[in-house]
Amino acid sequence: MKHIGNQTALILVLGFFTFVTMVPILWAFLISIKDPIDAFTIPPKIIFDPTIIFHIKVWVELGFWSFLINSVIISLGTVVVSIPIGTLAAYALARIRTRHTRSMLFGLLTIRMFPHILIVIPFFMMARFLHLFDTYLVLILAFVAMNQPFTIWLMRGFFVDIPLELDEAAHIDGCNNWQTFIRVILPVVRPGLVVTTLFSLQLAYNEFLFALVLTGSRTKTLPVAIAGFGGEDISYWSMSAAGAIGISLPILLFVLFMQRHLIRGLTLGAVKG
Amino acid sequence: MAFVSLSDVCKSYGSVPAVQNFTLEIEKGQFVVLVGPSGCGKSTVLKMIAGLEAITSGEVNIDDRIVNDVDPKDRDIAMVFQNYALYPDKTVYDNMAFGLKMRKVPADEIDERVGAASQILGIGELLERRPAQLSGGQRQRVAVGRVIVRDPKVFLFDEPLSNLDAHLRGRMRKELIKLHKQLGATMIYVTHDQIEAMTMGDVIVVMRDCRIQQFGSPLDVFERPANQFVASFIGAPPMNMIEGRLSLDRSPHLLTGGVSIALPEKMTLPLADYNGGEIVFGIRPQHIGLTPASAKKGDELYGTIGLLEQLGTESAIDLEVGTNALAVNLPPTPGLKEGDQMRIELDFTRAHYFDQRSEGIICHGIDHMTGP
Repeated sequence: MKHIGNQTALILVLGFFTFVTMVPILWAFLISIKDPIDAFTIPPKIIFDPTIIFHIKVWVELGFWSFLINSVIISLGTVVVSIPIGTLAAYALARIRTRHTRSMLFGLLTIRMFPHILIVIPFFMMARFLHLFDTYLVLILAFVAMNQPFTIWLMRGFFVDIPLELDEAAHIDGCNNWQTFIRVILPVVRPGLVVTTLFSLQLAYNEFLFALVLTGSRTKTLPVAIAGFGGEDISYWSMSAAGAIGISLPILLFVLFMQRHLIRGLTLGAVKG
Repeated sequence: MAFVSLSDVCKSYGSVPAVQNFTLEIEKGQFVVLVGPSGCGKSTVLKMIAGLEAITSGEVNIDDRIVNDVDPKDRDIAMVFQNYALYPDKTVYDNMAFGLKMRKVPADEIDERVGAASQILGIGELLERRPAQLSGGQRQRVAVGRVIVRDPKVFLFDEPLSNLDAHLRGRMRKELIKLHKQLGATMIYVTHDQIEAMTMGDVIVVMRDCRIQQFGSPLDVFERPANQFVASFIGAPPMNMIEGRLSLDRSPHLLTGGVSIALPEKMTLPLADYNGGEIVFGIRPQHIGLTPASAKKGDELYGTIGLLEQLGTESAIDLEVGTNALAVNLPPTPGLKEGDQMRIELDFTRAHYFDQRSEGIICHGIDHMTGP
C-alpha cells in the first residue's frame, strides 16, 4: 500500500513539474501559429484559425536555415574539440593523484565561475586583433574554453566511479596506458560520454552572449538571429516564437535519438554491477 | 634458485612504510599464502610482484629475471582481484579472451583455451553473458577463468573469496585447491582468513605491521608459532595467553591471577633463564581437558564455568580460573552447566612459552615434552 501511495505522489509531483515546464513551450508554440491579434487576447482564445505563415516566413524569407547551418557547424566543432580533450584530461585527473590534482580541479572550477560578461570584451578585442572576428573558429574556441571545465568535471565523475582494479586488470592482460583507456575504460563510460557530449552540444547551441559579440553577418547563430527581429514589427512576437520553436527541434530530436544512452548515463555509477 | 624470490623488498608511501624488508623464496609449483590482518602490507607485496606497485627498494625476481622495472604485461603473471575486476561491457568469453587477444594469440587457439578453461570451471553456458548477469560465485569463476587461459608463470590471488557468502566461500576454497593440484602452477594467494591460509597453502607467510612474522608449512606455523601474534592469529578460537611469574624453585610453576599452575619438570631446563621473571604461557582451547570435580585436592588446577555454548559439534566454555579467563573447547559434552566446578588438565606437550616483553617464543612444549 505504502509503495503504491509513494508512486502516486511521485507521479503527481512529476506531472506538476512537467506541466510547469511545458506551459511556456506550449504557449510559445500557440503564439507561433496564431494571428498576432489573437495571440494576445485575454482570456486566450481556444478556438482560432491556425497558421504556419510565421514559420514559413522565418525559415524561408529570413533565411533561418543558413543560421541553423552556422549553429550546427559551431556546436559540432565545439564538441569535436572539447570532448576528446575533456575526456583525456578527466581520465588523467581521475587516475593520477598528485599534490596538484586538487588545485587543477579547483582552477577549472574557477574558470567556470567567471561571469561571461567579464570575459567577452577581451575576447572581442583579441578576435579583432587576430582577424578572427565573425569566423567559426573564434566562436568554437570561445565555446571550448567555456565548456572545458564542465566536460572535465562531468567526465571525471564517471571515471572516478570505475574501480582502479579494472585498469590494473587491463595492464596485467597486456595493455599499455593508451590501450587500457581505449579498449577497457572508454567502453565502460560510453553512456557518460553521451551525456557529456549532449550537454556540451546544447551549451554551444544555445549560447547567446559570446555569439552576439563575436559573430557578424556571416556566422550569426540561431539565438542571435532571433534576437535580431525588430521589436517594432507587429508580428515580432509571432516570429520570435516560431523561431524559438524551430531551433529547439534539432535538440529535441537528438535527445529522443540518444534517450537510451542518456538514461543509462544519468544513472551510471548509481548501481554497482 | 627459487622460481619467485623477493629479497629485502621495501615499499613506502612518502614516509609511511607499507612493506619492510620482505624476503621470501617461492619454489615452482608452490601454493604460498600471505595472511595477516588488514593493513599489514600483504596486498602491497602481491601488487609489487604483479608490477602494479613500484618497489621502493629491494629486488623481485621471477624465473631468474629481475622484474623491478618490467611492466605488468611483460612479467607473465595473471591476477584475480578481490572485486573480480571483470570488464563490464564485455561478455564472459571476451573477458577471458582479452588477455590472449592482446598477446596476439591466434583466434582458434583462443577458442580452444577459453573452451578448456570454461569446462574446468563449469561456466560453459555463461560465455555469452555479461558480468552484470552473473551471480557472485559465477563472476568469481570467470575471474579465475581469465587467469587460467593465460597459463602464466605465476598466479596471483588478492582475497578472491572475501566477497562470497560463507557457504560459497568454502566450496570455492576447495575448488581452488583442486585447481592448484590439477594445474601444478605457482600460486601466491593473499587473505586475511586464517582458515583459508591453513587449508590452501603449502607455505603460509604471516604478516603484521609491514613485516613477515613467520613463514613455514601451515602445521609448522600452527604447532610452533614464532611469537604471540602468530599464535593468536593462526587457529580459532585464538590461543589462551596467560601472563604470570615463573618460579623454578623446588618444582616449576607459574603464578598467575591468584592461582599456581604446576609446570612439568621437563620444562625446568628450557625455561631456566626466566626463573623469577614474567612470561606468557600459551595454550589453545582445544588442548585443555576438563573433568567434573567435587572437591579440590593437592596442587591441581580448578576453574568455574562462566559461560557455556553448546554448538553441537563442540562445547565452547569460558572458564574462570582465579582472575584469569580461559577459553576451552571440548568435544560435545552434555550435562555441563554454568557455575560448575571443573578440574583442569592442560596438555603441556601443546603449550607454548613466550617472552613477555619481546612477545617472542621461548620454547614449545612439543620440543621438550616428547621423547625419552
